[in-house]
Amino acid sequence: MHINVKELVGENAMTLDDGDAIYARIHGPLTKGDTVELDFDGVQVFASPFFNAGIGRLLGELTTDALNARLKFAHLSDFGARLLRRVIENAKNYYAAPTDQQHAIDRIVHDNAIAA
Amino acid sequence: MTALTIHVPRLNDAHDDFIAMAKIWREVDAAGDGAEVSFDFSRCWFLQPNAVVFLGGLGRVIGHRGGKARFLVGTMIDRVRVNLLQNGFAHALGAETTPWQGNSIPYREYFTQEEDGIAQDLRKNWLGRGWISVSQALANELVGQMWELFANAFEHSDTPVGVFSCGQYFKNRCVLTLAVADFGVGIPSNVRLHLRQPDLSAADALRWAFQRGTSTSTRKGPRGVGLDLLKELVRTNKGEMLVYSHDGCVRIDHRGETYENSQPFFEGTLVQLRLLCDDKHYMLSNELAAKCAVPFF
Repeated sequence: MHINVKELVGENAMTLDDGDAIYARIHGPLTKGDTVELDFDGVQVFASPFFNAGIGRLLGELTTDALNARLKFAHLSDFGARLLRRVIENAKNYYAAPTDQQHAIDRIVHDNAIAA
Repeated sequence: MTALTIHVPRLNDAHDDFIAMAKIWREVDAAGDGAEVSFDFSRCWFLQPNAVVFLGGLGRVIGHRGGKARFLVGTMIDRVRVNLLQNGFAHALGAETTPWQGNSIPYREYFTQEEDGIAQDLRKNWLGRGWISVSQALANELVGQMWELFANAFEHSDTPVGVFSCGQYFKNRCVLTLAVADFGVGIPSNVRLHLRQPDLSAADALRWAFQRGTSTSTRKGPRGVGLDLLKELVRTNKGEMLVYSHDGCVRIDHRGETYENSQPFFEGTLVQLRLLCDDKHYMLSNELAAKCAVPFF
């Protein structure tokens, strides 16, 4: 499966909404075992909310081996690649936290969201 | 209805200047909803961009509370008046004169998270003026990193009046500044709520917020990379980032990070970035080459 990122989010891949759009397209195929290539041709600007929402949270659902085997990146700029690695490293730490701690964090986040 | 006149002093970006802005905020806040506030500039001979975004946002807050803000152009010395006309501050607040190009990065008010507009403004008015000699790729990198400031302001602050930005190029010092302000809840309050620690000091709350991997986001999942990237940019560039957020402040430069409690500033966050306009200080993408064969995950 080949996905042209620019067609989905434009030349600025920066927001959580942009990331959500990518996640919505790739999450199903990846969990079914399909291979996905994200083609960033024409995407100029990257920011961490995009990668967190689009890629980082996949680490909560799939193993690193599965993601390395199934998710490919094409035409990613130097900065995009560097930022993506930073986001992935951070996501690994997040999901490596003890489950109790993760649940506590998510509960606090959930409660605050309701209170807001 | 309360009528109040604020005498705006010279406002630079030293700690005392932020204290002066905090005093202005408290006077306006004490005047209550519906106040008519006039800003007299007869004692002011200079305004840094941080002061411009503060005053612009404050004007919008006064309007949001049912009052009226008047910036008394007739009290301004030429230097201040021309600066506020040139950078678009006066036009945004009702003056007919449209801004023109100078050493200011235009004053902007963003009411929604319009990513393409903000990216275009940063690329064209901040980086595209020839003040820093950077490649297109590096310009895109810097725009992405600056965006983190706006993303934080929109996502975390719950600002009722938008996000404000302005900048200035100081040719003699070869320094480029960018100030971004929101008038939301402030970082310390967000962290106290998030961690359920109402007694947490502002300095500790800010220290927590500026760690890699921490975030007050209400979304599940990993976050907390953006501020870390900005810190890296400042260190690499030998620049400086000042953050004043309600009752705390942060200073980050190549020498380290300082977190302090302060008297309450305003209900929101003001960030000022100061970068050196020397392209030898922009070396952000070089570390990738050695890593390109390593799997991403």
